[in-house]
Formats: sequence, structure tokens, C-alpha cells
Amino acid sequence: MPATHDMPIPLLQETFTELGVALVGIVAVSTFAVFYFRRVRLDRPPIGTFNGRDIGILLTFIIALPFLYAALPGWALTCFLALTFASALSIGYRPLLGRTRSWLFIGLLIGANIWTSRTMLGTVAGWQLWWAELTVLVALAAIAVANLYVQGGMKLRYVAWLALALGAYDVVFSSVYPLTSKLTQEFLGAPLDPSLGMRFGIDNFAIGIGDLLIFALFAVATYKAYGRPAARLALGVIVVFGALVPSLVPLVINFVDARTDILVPAQAFFGPAAFLCYLWMRHHYGRERTMAEYRASAAGEASTVVPAQPATAPEPASV
Amino acid sequence: MFETGIRQLRMAMGMVSGRRLDPRNIGRLVDDVRATLAEFGEPGADAQQVLDGPLADPEEQLEFARRGLRRTARRLAAQSPFYARRFAAAHAEPGGLDVAALRAIPVTTKRDLIERPGEFRCADAAGVLATRTTGTTGRPAEIWLSRYEMELWAALGALSSVLRDELRPGDVMQVNISSRATVGTHLTATVCRLAGAGCRLLGIVSPDEALDSLSQGAATLLSTCPSYLAELVTAARRRGMGPGDFQLRHVGVSGEVLSPSLARAACQTLGVPRIEDSFSMTEVIPVTGRTCSHAHLHHDLNTGLTELLDLQTGEPTAPGALGTVVITPYFPYRDCMPVFRYDTRDVARCLPEEALTCELAGVPAMSQILGKADHLLRLSPGHVITPRQLIHAIEALPTAPWPARYRAEVRDGRAHLTLAGAAINGYGVAAARRHFAEAGLDVDLAIVSDDQAVSLRHTRSDLHETTFVTQQALIGA
Repeated sequence: MPATHDMPIPLLQETFTELGVALVGIVAVSTFAVFYFRRVRLDRPPIGTFNGRDIGILLTFIIALPFLYAALPGWALTCFLALTFASALSIGYRPLLGRTRSWLFIGLLIGANIWTSRTMLGTVAGWQLWWAELTVLVALAAIAVANLYVQGGMKLRYVAWLALALGAYDVVFSSVYPLTSKLTQEFLGAPLDPSLGMRFGIDNFAIGIGDLLIFALFAVATYKAYGRPAARLALGVIVVFGALVPSLVPLVINFVDARTDILVPAQAFFGPAAFLCYLWMRHHYGRERTMAEYRASAAGEASTVVPAQPATAPEPASV
Repeated sequence: MFETGIRQLRMAMGMVSGRRLDPRNIGRLVDDVRATLAEFGEPGADAQQVLDGPLADPEEQLEFARRGLRRTARRLAAQSPFYARRFAAAHAEPGGLDVAALRAIPVTTKRDLIERPGEFRCADAAGVLATRTTGTTGRPAEIWLSRYEMELWAALGALSSVLRDELRPGDVMQVNISSRATVGTHLTATVCRLAGAGCRLLGIVSPDEALDSLSQGAATLLSTCPSYLAELVTAARRRGMGPGDFQLRHVGVSGEVLSPSLARAACQTLGVPRIEDSFSMTEVIPVTGRTCSHAHLHHDLNTGLTELLDLQTGEPTAPGALGTVVITPYFPYRDCMPVFRYDTRDVARCLPEEALTCELAGVPAMSQILGKADHLLRLSPGHVITPRQLIHAIEALPTAPWPARYRAEVRDGRAHLTLAGAAINGYGVAAARRHFAEAGLDVDLAIVSDDQAVSLRHTRSDLHETTFVTQQALIGA
């Protein structure tokens, strides 16, 4: 969720700085998630694929999580976050780095951020180091979890419904019951703050891991369901409704509300847009590909070396 | 994904704790497997563990068997009049049993089951379906089943079949087993329903009728017994039918000896890569066995304990020796009328002690079933001819006499084999004698007319069922 803290610089500058941070973070996470999806095959359980009820369970968990964050003492929250990040990163990067190197990498990343939180936040450079560590940690975790879900069978249909539901959630918990804003403020500077961002001067610009996860999920699930052209369209929707609109909204809101330390519910814009985009793609491209069809198509692409033979259609024919 | 994990956890907890499992939970797991296959085309990497359990270590297997035996014995001592008396007579402490101490408890025989069926029924389970054995060893035994175990076995069977890709949604299974095998037919139909497959229960009808159904009804799976498979192959060859006439992808048989000659011919005629030869028996269900590519028989460890006992001493069989297969289905897999140390009288050979190298090497094995103990030909203390040897040799004759019809007995220390004339028609007695000698069988041959063939050896395919299309006999006029 794009958030601005304090307001010592002009609104326009702040808006575009936020836009820059959001754009870099969102585009990097979404594209690397697709890149990861194409290159890395994660282990999955012997039985099970994501279904509608799983999305319900996931939503319940997402709704309950902020209350858990608010209720836990600082040390317990840090332990919880360390465990969560370690799990996500170990699942996602053990296939790439191996067991020993991945745990070394995870330990260093988590340990460095905890250490920086406690010792380095007195200077701008210290804050920037803290944000840089978090950015790597959060981006890698979002990429891993998005792939875990999509490679575990989460369809684009479920991602679209999840985004829509999170849009409503975002409106409620940032406007009606501003728990998200409270948490964002409390997390700032705490170890393993689940946000990606950077500090410029005395201002922090960030986007939450939840938003990044949804964007990555939408990009990867679209790529798996309908192929590359559809993924490009999804990336456009992510950039416009996940980065541009939420970042520029404070400019509009400023006309009616002098307060600019406002937390913008990005999913309120992205959720409906993603859902409509999914409906259009379903109408245009037809049924989503299954993982088996995607793998067969990817294998067909890789093995198409004799041009004289008719190539297998790697993606839906209407693309 | 999340709810599948919860279901698997519930099933695993049930298996570990030994409480009754929830068949509906397992049925929903079958749906999960179907969804998994629809999405991924195959189950995940550890699917084998879901089926066979993580019991690769012999110590773990022993510990698992010890817990299963104690759990089962404790329940039987409390609920089954027959076993309460039997354990007391053997001074056996059900809660202290292990595989070694098991020998103090006498085996249960088919005669026990036939003479005192009511005493085997557990007080805490209501029987809803009675089934009778349909084998060829004389008077049938009757087994009562509870609703729980009928639902449980079907759910477990469907889970296993779908995970192993033996059954797919859209398949059509044709079942040619005796219609009186009510458990087999009920289970097959329910397993197919749970797996989203069609099921055609035909019974032992005329082979031509079954072939018409196979070729015109788009059956993709066939379940039958070896002797009826033999009749089908013979009839198909007579009609000039071949792989192009069938859409079969899997043929499974059990209950009798399947010879390599018949299996090869069935593969060629029906167009399937192999015939799946499994072990199952009404009295000891749900314990089953699978035959691997090395022709070993591997019994399921999760649902029961399988022993191989010396035919004379009743002690565990030495490597290389023959023994009778004794099976104890565990609670909670057997509920209404359980048996404990049931002597199947099926004979198998204990494998040498070397480590197995087959695809099922993690599961203990014995040889395939060689025949019934009462049908062994004992020529001398060290020289025994098994029914499997005879059936293999007879069905390998160039005349393709399937299913093998023979009578074998020992006269003056020599094996005497009686065959029907059709078995050596155009081949000759001398050539047949040479054929048997090459198969390691030094036998005296006698030939009887073809009309006596069926009386030589009973097979399951003899349980013919008539229809108005092909009536086999009209009684009265």
C-alpha cells in the first residue's frame, strides 16, 4: 500500500518520488516473478491445488493478520515475521541455491535487517541501508510466494477475485477502520517491516508486501493462463492501477483535504481493474490454461527446433 | 490446497491413532486428487508416500505392525466372541502382542469361518451386507460387512486407483467377475463413482457377449479373473478380433494363477502393455497385494500383516521354502467380522534374503501365489510340483488351451497329469511329454475327451451366468 510519511517536501515532488519508488518496486517484482515462473519449478504437495475455498481461507488469514500484528509484543512480532520470511525464502530459493547456501543467505538477510533496525536508524544513510535490505527481502519473498501459489494451481480467476476482495478490504481498513495506517506508522523502523521502499531526506516512501504479492500473482497467473501478450496487458494494468493511480491520488485528494500524510488504498483501484481485466481476457482468450497445459506448451516452445514441422501453439490461438 | 492439507492431516492422524477413519474425508481427498490431475496432469512428487506410507525402514515396518496388531487384538478381545475365547485359550495378552509373540495364537481357518460365522461378528458393528466367497475350494464362507468398512474400502480404493493413474475420470470399467461376488462388485462400482469413471458390471456372461460389450461399449478398463480372461482371448481370436477392436488401456486380474503365455496373448489381442495381476481375497479384505515387474507379490503394509508360514511347522518360512500366506487385517480397516491370522492356504515361496531391486523394493515381498496348499503335488520331501508350474506349462502348449483344464495327482511317487484331448490336438502325446519335460515337469500323461474338460479343474469362469441373449441351459420346458 503506497504510503507517505511526514510532509516536509512539496506535494508534487513527494508524489513523483512515491510514484518512482512504487513503479520500480512493482515492475521489478512483477517481471521477476514471471521470470522466476518460467525458469524455476517449485516442489508441490502430492495432492492439492488452489480452489475457491482456499481463497476464502487466505482472505480470512489476511484479514486476521493485522489484528495479530497489533496484538503481538515487538519481540514476538519480529519472531513471527522472521519465521514467515524464512519459510517463504527457503521454499522459493532452495531450488536455486541449495539447502546450505539458501539458509546462509536467509540468515544474513534477516539478521542484517534486525541489526540495522537496532543500530543504524540515526542517519539517512542508515535508513537507506535498512530500506535496501527490506526491499531485497520483501521483493524476494513476494516473488517466491506468488510462484508458490500459482505453481500450486492458483488460477487467474481466483487471483482476480482475491484482488477484488482485497480492494474492499483495503477501503475498509484504511478508511472506515484505519488499522492499516496505524500499523504502517508503528512498523516504520521495526525489524522486518513487511514493506519495500526507500528514504529520501527525512521522508520514507514505501509499498506493502501484500500489494506486491497481489501484483506478482496477477502477472504470473495471467502469464500462465494466457501467455505473454496477456501478461503484458496485465503488467499495464498493474502499472496504471497499482502504481500510477494510487501515487497520483494524493494530488487530487489535496484539493479537498489538506492532510497529505494519507495512506492510499492501492487495492481499491487495482482490485476492480484487475477483475475487469480478467473478465475481458476470459471473454477474449477463453478458458485458462492448466499448469499441465502451460508446461506442455513451454516444453513445445523449447523443443521447436525444426522450422519445417508445424509448431505447437504455445499460447491460446486468439492471442 | 489448504483444505487438502487439512484432509490429509486428518487421514494421517486417523491412521496413526488407530481410530476409525472418516470415509467421507477420504472421498473428498479423491476429489482433490482429481482436481490435482486436472490441473497438473500428475500428482506431486511424494504421492507414493500417501499410498504406501513412509514405511521404507524395516524397523519402522515392525513397529507399525506391532501397533496394528495390538490395536486389532485389543478390539477383538473385547468385541469378537471367537477371538476373546481364542486369545484367552492361548494366554495371549492382546495389548502386549508383537510379531514374534503372534505365533502363540493359532491361525484361523476357513472351516472356523464356515462353522461358527456368528462368533466372528463384533458386537460394536452392525452388518449391512453379507458376501460369500466365490473361489473354487468348495463350500463358500459368508462374511458380513458394516456400512463403515464398505464406504472406507471404496474411498481408499478410489484414492489409490486415481493416484496410481489406474482409474481416470471418463474411463469405463467393464467388470467380468461373478455377480455373487457382492463385495467386489459393490466396491468396484463405488470406486468408479468416486473416481468419476463409468462402471459396467456384466458378470460371467458368455465371452462373446462380453467381447461385444468391450468392443462396442468403449470400455477402457477390464477387471476379471484369469480363467475368464482366457475365455475372452480364445473367443476374440476365434472371431479374428485384435487390438484395433478395443479401446482398453488397462486389464486387471486376480483370484487365480495367470500364466505368462496367457498374459502375453491377452496383451497382443486386447492391445494393452501388461496385465495387472493382483492379490485379493474376500476373507481378508481390504488387504491386497501387487505383483511387480520381477514377479514378486508385495502385500500392502498399511492395512494388515502378512505372514508366510511353513506348511508343516507353522513357523515363519525359511528363504526359498514354500509357505502358506496368513493375513491379519488391522483395525480400523476391518470392522464387522474381522479375522486374525487367517490362513488363506495360498502357497507362496519365501524369497532369498538378498535385497530386492524391483520398483516396489520398499515393501516386503514373497513369490507370486503358486496355488492352494491342498493342490500341491508332493513327489518326495524335497520335490513339490505347484499348480502354477502346471498351469504355466499347460497354457504354454502350442495349442493354446486356455484356461488350463487338468487333473494332477501323485501315483507311485510320480506325477500323473490328465488333460483334455483339445489341449494336445494336432500336437501329440509324445511332443506334449517333451514340452513338459523341458518345463522341468517329469509327468505321466493321460488324455480324456473334451466333454470331460470342465470336470478336470474348476475355474472361476465356470460360474456362468445366463442372459436372454445367450442362455446356457434351459431347465424345464
